[in-house]
Amino acid sequence: MSGPHDLGGAKDFPGPIDKSQHEVEDWERLTDAITTALDGKGIKTTDQHRRAVESLENYGELGYYERWAAATEKLLVEKGILTKEEIDERAAEIEREWGGE
Amino acid sequence: MSENGHDHPHPGSGTGKTTTPHALRIRAMEGLLVEKGVLTEAEIQDRISYMDSRSPANGAKLVARAWTDEGFKDRLLTDTKSAALELGIDASGPVEFIVVENTPEIRNLIVCTLCSCYPRAILGRPPDWYKSFEYRSRAVKEPRAVMREFGFEPSENVEVRVHDSTADIRYMVLPMRPEGTEGMGEEELEGLVSRDSLVGVAVPKNSANHE
Repeated sequence: MSGPHDLGGAKDFPGPIDKSQHEVEDWERLTDAITTALDGKGIKTTDQHRRAVESLENYGELGYYERWAAATEKLLVEKGILTKEEIDERAAEIEREWGGE
Repeated sequence: MSENGHDHPHPGSGTGKTTTPHALRIRAMEGLLVEKGVLTEAEIQDRISYMDSRSPANGAKLVARAWTDEGFKDRLLTDTKSAALELGIDASGPVEFIVVENTPEIRNLIVCTLCSCYPRAILGRPPDWYKSFEYRSRAVKEPRAVMREFGFEPSENVEVRVHDSTADIRYMVLPMRPEGTEGMGEEELEGLVSRDSLVGVAVPKNSANHE
Protein backbone atom coordinates (compact mmCIF):
# COMPACT_ATOMS: atom_id res chain seq x y z
CA MET A 1 0.00 0.00 0.00
CA SER A 2 1.30 3.41 -0.82
CA GLY A 3 1.40 6.25 1.71
CA PRO A 4 0.17 9.81 1.44
CA HIS A 5 3.50 10.86 -0.06
CA ASP A 6 3.20 8.56 -3.08
CA LEU A 7 1.66 11.13 -5.39
CA GLY A 8 2.86 10.01 -8.82
CA GLY A 9 -0.24 9.79 -11.01
CA ALA A 10 -2.61 10.43 -8.08
CA LYS A 11 -6.01 11.73 -9.18
CA ASP A 12 -6.72 13.88 -6.14
CA PHE A 13 -4.89 16.98 -7.34
CA PRO A 14 -6.00 17.70 -10.90
CA GLY A 15 -4.51 21.17 -10.84
CA PRO A 16 -3.81 23.77 -12.00
CA ILE A 17 -0.33 24.18 -10.53
CA ASP A 18 0.04 27.27 -8.38
CA LYS A 19 3.22 29.00 -9.56
CA SER A 20 3.33 31.66 -6.88
CA GLN A 21 6.38 31.65 -4.63
CA HIS A 22 6.43 32.60 -0.98
CA GLU A 23 9.58 34.11 0.44
CA VAL A 24 11.42 31.51 2.48
CA GLU A 25 11.03 32.39 6.15
CA ASP A 26 13.83 32.27 8.71
CA TRP A 27 12.32 29.31 10.54
CA GLU A 28 12.15 27.43 7.25
CA ARG A 29 15.80 28.13 6.49
CA LEU A 30 16.56 27.03 10.04
CA THR A 31 14.58 23.81 9.59
CA ASP A 32 16.44 23.10 6.37
CA ALA A 33 19.78 23.83 8.07
CA ILE A 34 19.19 21.73 11.19
CA THR A 35 17.88 18.80 9.18
CA THR A 36 20.82 18.75 6.79
CA ALA A 37 23.38 19.51 9.52
CA LEU A 38 22.17 16.45 11.45
CA ASP A 39 22.52 14.41 8.25
CA GLY A 40 25.99 15.83 7.69
CA LYS A 41 27.10 14.73 11.15
CA GLY A 42 25.73 11.24 10.65
CA ILE A 43 23.14 11.66 13.41
CA LYS A 44 20.39 10.71 11.01
CA THR A 45 20.12 9.81 7.34
CA THR A 46 18.11 11.08 4.39
CA ASP A 47 16.25 7.77 4.27
CA GLN A 48 15.29 8.04 7.93
CA HIS A 49 14.10 11.58 7.25
CA ARG A 50 11.94 10.37 4.38
CA ARG A 51 10.46 7.56 6.45
CA ALA A 52 9.68 10.04 9.22
CA VAL A 53 8.06 12.50 6.78
CA GLU A 54 6.08 9.80 5.02
CA SER A 55 4.69 8.39 8.26
CA LEU A 56 3.34 11.70 9.57
CA GLU A 57 -0.35 11.27 10.36
CA ASN A 58 -1.24 14.77 9.20
CA TYR A 59 1.02 14.73 6.11
CA GLY A 60 -1.50 16.38 3.79
CA GLU A 61 -2.32 19.19 6.22
CA LEU A 62 1.20 20.36 6.88
CA GLY A 63 3.27 22.79 4.85
CA TYR A 64 6.51 21.57 3.35
CA TYR A 65 8.91 22.72 6.06
CA GLU A 66 6.35 21.88 8.73
CA ARG A 67 6.73 18.28 7.57
CA TRP A 68 10.49 18.60 7.79
CA ALA A 69 10.35 20.10 11.29
CA ALA A 70 7.94 17.40 12.46
CA ALA A 71 10.10 14.65 10.94
CA THR A 72 13.29 16.00 12.49
CA GLU A 73 11.58 16.17 15.88
CA LYS A 74 10.30 12.64 15.50
CA LEU A 75 13.78 11.30 14.74
CA LEU A 76 15.47 13.28 17.53
CA VAL A 77 12.96 11.89 20.02
CA GLU A 78 13.20 8.34 18.64
CA LYS A 79 16.97 8.47 18.95
CA GLY A 80 16.76 9.71 22.52
CA ILE A 81 18.61 12.95 21.73
CA LEU A 82 15.72 15.20 22.81
CA THR A 83 12.45 14.54 24.60
CA LYS A 84 9.06 15.78 23.50
CA GLU A 85 8.60 17.34 26.93
CA GLU A 86 11.71 19.49 26.75
CA ILE A 87 10.77 20.65 23.25
CA ASP A 88 7.23 21.47 24.49
CA GLU A 89 8.67 23.42 27.38
CA ARG A 90 11.22 25.35 25.36
CA ALA A 91 8.72 26.15 22.61
CA ALA A 92 6.31 27.53 25.21
CA GLU A 93 9.12 29.63 26.68
CA ILE A 94 9.98 31.11 23.29
CA GLU A 95 6.33 31.79 22.58
CA ARG A 96 5.97 33.66 25.87
CA GLU A 97 9.06 35.66 25.10
CA TRP A 98 8.06 36.50 21.53
CA GLY A 99 4.33 36.65 21.99
CA GLY A 100 4.45 39.31 24.71
CA GLU A 101 3.67 42.86 23.70
CA MET B 1 8.40 43.79 22.60
CA SER B 2 10.37 45.49 19.86
CA GLU B 3 11.79 43.54 16.96
CA ASN B 4 15.24 43.85 18.52
CA GLY B 5 14.19 43.29 22.08
CA HIS B 6 15.04 39.60 22.05
CA ASP B 7 17.98 39.38 24.41
CA HIS B 8 19.74 36.35 23.01
CA PRO B 9 19.54 36.62 19.25
CA HIS B 10 20.01 33.59 17.08
CA PRO B 11 22.80 34.58 14.75
CA GLY B 12 22.44 31.38 12.78
CA SER B 13 18.79 31.63 12.05
CA GLY B 14 17.74 35.19 11.39
CA THR B 15 15.34 37.18 13.47
CA GLY B 16 11.98 36.36 11.91
CA LYS B 17 9.79 35.58 14.90
CA THR B 18 7.17 33.33 13.40
CA THR B 19 5.16 31.83 16.24
CA THR B 20 3.31 29.03 14.47
CA PRO B 21 3.68 25.72 16.34
CA HIS B 22 6.28 24.18 14.05
CA ALA B 23 8.30 27.38 13.81
CA LEU B 24 8.45 27.51 17.61
CA ARG B 25 9.35 23.84 17.87
CA ILE B 26 12.28 24.09 15.46
CA ARG B 27 13.55 27.13 17.42
CA ALA B 28 13.24 25.02 20.56
CA MET B 29 15.15 22.16 18.93
CA GLU B 30 17.83 24.60 17.79
CA GLY B 31 18.39 25.87 21.34
CA LEU B 32 18.40 22.41 22.88
CA LEU B 33 20.68 20.85 20.25
CA VAL B 34 23.23 23.64 20.70
CA GLU B 35 23.07 23.43 24.52
CA LYS B 36 23.61 19.68 24.42
CA GLY B 37 26.50 20.03 22.02
CA VAL B 38 24.82 18.02 19.27
CA LEU B 39 25.20 20.92 16.82
CA THR B 40 26.95 24.27 17.06
CA GLU B 41 25.51 27.60 15.93
CA ALA B 42 28.39 27.78 13.46
CA GLU B 43 27.38 24.48 11.87
CA ILE B 44 23.80 25.67 11.53
CA GLN B 45 24.92 28.99 10.07
CA ASP B 46 27.18 27.17 7.61
CA ARG B 47 24.24 25.19 6.31
CA ILE B 48 22.11 28.29 5.90
CA SER B 49 24.90 30.12 4.05
CA TYR B 50 25.52 27.09 1.87
CA MET B 51 21.91 26.87 0.74
CA ASP B 52 21.60 30.64 0.35
CA SER B 53 24.62 30.58 -1.96
CA ARG B 54 23.03 28.03 -4.34
CA SER B 55 20.83 29.37 -7.07
CA PRO B 56 19.61 28.72 -10.61
CA ALA B 57 22.43 31.02 -11.78
CA ASN B 58 24.76 28.05 -11.18
CA GLY B 59 22.71 25.93 -13.55
CA ALA B 60 22.67 28.73 -16.12
CA LYS B 61 26.49 28.89 -15.98
CA LEU B 62 26.81 25.17 -16.61
CA VAL B 63 24.39 25.31 -19.52
CA ALA B 64 25.99 28.36 -21.17
CA ARG B 65 29.41 26.74 -20.96
CA ALA B 66 28.03 23.48 -22.40
CA TRP B 67 26.52 25.43 -25.30
CA THR B 68 29.85 27.02 -26.14
CA ASP B 69 32.28 24.20 -25.35
CA GLU B 70 31.55 20.73 -26.72
CA GLY B 71 34.18 19.09 -24.50
CA PHE B 72 32.65 20.63 -21.39
CA LYS B 73 29.21 19.49 -22.50
CA ASP B 74 30.45 15.89 -22.72
CA ARG B 75 31.94 16.14 -19.25
CA LEU B 76 28.75 17.71 -17.88
CA LEU B 77 26.70 14.82 -19.25
CA THR B 78 29.06 12.10 -18.06
CA ASP B 79 30.47 13.43 -14.78
CA THR B 80 28.33 16.33 -13.61
CA LYS B 81 30.04 16.91 -10.28
CA SER B 82 33.54 17.33 -11.64
CA ALA B 83 32.29 19.46 -14.54
CA ALA B 84 30.52 21.71 -12.02
CA LEU B 85 33.70 21.95 -9.99
CA GLU B 86 35.53 23.25 -13.07
CA LEU B 87 33.29 26.32 -12.82
CA GLY B 88 33.75 26.59 -9.07
CA ILE B 89 30.41 25.00 -8.20
CA ASP B 90 30.91 22.49 -5.43
CA ALA B 91 28.20 19.85 -5.70
CA SER B 92 30.17 17.22 -3.82
CA GLY B 93 28.40 14.90 -1.44
CA PRO B 94 26.76 11.51 -1.51
CA VAL B 95 24.04 12.53 -3.95
CA GLU B 96 24.40 11.53 -7.61
CA PHE B 97 23.73 14.11 -10.33
CA ILE B 98 22.54 13.31 -13.82
CA VAL B 99 22.17 15.93 -16.53
CA VAL B 100 19.71 14.98 -19.27
CA GLU B 101 19.97 16.64 -22.66
CA ASN B 102 17.10 18.07 -24.66
CA THR B 103 17.37 17.48 -28.41
CA PRO B 104 15.05 18.21 -31.33
CA GLU B 105 13.56 14.75 -30.70
CA ILE B 106 13.53 14.62 -26.89
CA ARG B 107 12.23 16.93 -24.16
CA ASN B 108 13.03 16.09 -20.56
CA LEU B 109 11.06 16.93 -17.45
CA ILE B 110 12.17 16.56 -13.83
CA VAL B 111 9.89 15.76 -10.92
CA CYS B 112 10.06 14.13 -7.51
CA THR B 113 6.74 12.35 -7.04
CA LEU B 114 7.58 11.11 -3.55
CA CYS B 115 8.95 14.28 -2.02
CA SER B 116 10.95 17.21 -3.32
CA CYS B 117 14.31 15.81 -4.37
CA TYR B 118 15.98 18.46 -6.49
CA PRO B 119 19.55 19.31 -7.52
CA ARG B 120 19.80 21.54 -4.44
CA ALA B 121 23.59 21.54 -4.32
CA ILE B 122 23.56 23.30 -7.70
CA LEU B 123 20.24 25.17 -7.94
CA GLY B 124 19.34 25.80 -4.30
CA ARG B 125 16.00 25.17 -2.62
CA PRO B 126 13.28 24.03 -5.01
CA PRO B 127 10.46 26.43 -5.90
CA ASP B 128 7.10 25.99 -4.18
CA TRP B 129 5.35 24.67 -7.28
CA TYR B 130 7.88 21.85 -7.60
CA LYS B 131 6.83 20.66 -4.13
CA SER B 132 3.11 21.06 -4.78
CA PHE B 133 0.88 17.98 -4.74
CA GLU B 134 -0.45 19.03 -8.16
CA TYR B 135 2.96 19.05 -9.85
CA ARG B 136 4.10 15.87 -8.13
CA SER B 137 1.02 13.91 -9.14
CA ARG B 138 0.49 15.30 -12.64
CA ALA B 139 4.02 15.55 -14.05
CA VAL B 140 4.29 11.79 -14.56
CA LYS B 141 0.75 11.35 -15.86
CA GLU B 142 0.25 14.32 -18.14
CA PRO B 143 3.64 15.99 -18.64
CA ARG B 144 2.47 17.73 -21.82
CA ALA B 145 -0.44 19.35 -20.03
CA VAL B 146 1.95 20.50 -17.31
CA MET B 147 4.32 21.97 -19.91
CA ARG B 148 1.38 23.70 -21.57
CA GLU B 149 0.51 25.29 -18.24
CA PHE B 150 4.03 26.67 -18.03
CA GLY B 151 3.71 28.10 -21.50
CA PHE B 152 5.29 25.69 -23.95
CA GLU B 153 4.11 22.29 -25.10
CA PRO B 154 6.39 20.40 -27.49
CA SER B 155 4.92 19.17 -30.76
CA GLU B 156 3.50 15.65 -31.05
CA ASN B 157 6.59 14.18 -32.72
CA VAL B 158 8.82 15.15 -29.80
CA GLU B 159 9.26 12.45 -27.19
CA VAL B 160 8.72 13.63 -23.62
CA ARG B 161 10.80 11.87 -20.97
CA VAL B 162 9.93 12.35 -17.31
CA HIS B 163 12.62 11.68 -14.72
CA ASP B 164 11.45 10.91 -11.20
CA SER B 165 14.15 12.01 -8.77
CA THR B 166 15.09 10.12 -5.64
CA ALA B 167 16.95 10.88 -2.46
CA ASP B 168 20.08 9.52 -4.13
CA ILE B 169 19.76 10.70 -7.74
CA ARG B 170 19.02 14.29 -8.78
CA TYR B 171 18.42 15.35 -12.36
CA MET B 172 18.91 18.60 -14.20
CA VAL B 173 17.95 19.40 -17.79
CA LEU B 174 20.41 20.66 -20.38
CA PRO B 175 18.06 22.65 -22.61
CA MET B 176 18.69 23.34 -26.29
CA ARG B 177 20.43 26.52 -27.29
CA PRO B 178 17.85 28.81 -28.87
CA GLU B 179 18.21 29.75 -32.51
CA GLY B 180 19.65 33.14 -33.34
CA THR B 181 22.09 33.12 -30.41
CA GLU B 182 25.20 32.23 -32.43
CA GLY B 183 26.82 35.60 -31.82
CA MET B 184 26.20 35.63 -28.07
CA GLY B 185 28.92 35.24 -25.48
CA GLU B 186 28.67 32.98 -22.46
CA GLU B 187 27.42 35.65 -20.12
CA GLU B 188 24.63 36.71 -22.43
CA LEU B 189 23.65 33.08 -22.92
CA GLU B 190 23.45 32.56 -19.15
CA GLY B 191 20.78 35.24 -19.07
CA LEU B 192 18.55 33.13 -21.30
CA VAL B 193 18.57 30.09 -19.01
CA SER B 194 15.74 30.20 -16.49
CA ARG B 195 15.28 27.91 -13.53
CA ASP B 196 12.15 26.52 -15.15
CA SER B 197 14.14 25.48 -18.22
CA LEU B 198 16.58 23.58 -15.97
CA VAL B 199 13.64 21.60 -14.55
CA GLY B 200 12.20 21.17 -18.03
CA VAL B 201 8.82 22.88 -17.69
CA ALA B 202 10.04 25.69 -19.96
CA VAL B 203 12.62 26.22 -22.69
CA PRO B 204 15.11 29.09 -23.00
CA LYS B 205 13.99 31.85 -25.30
CA ASN B 206 16.09 34.21 -27.32
CA SER B 207 14.59 37.40 -25.97
CA ALA B 208 16.57 39.46 -28.51
CA ASN B 209 14.27 37.97 -31.18
CA HIS B 210 11.30 39.63 -29.61
CA GLU B 211 12.70 43.12 -29.39
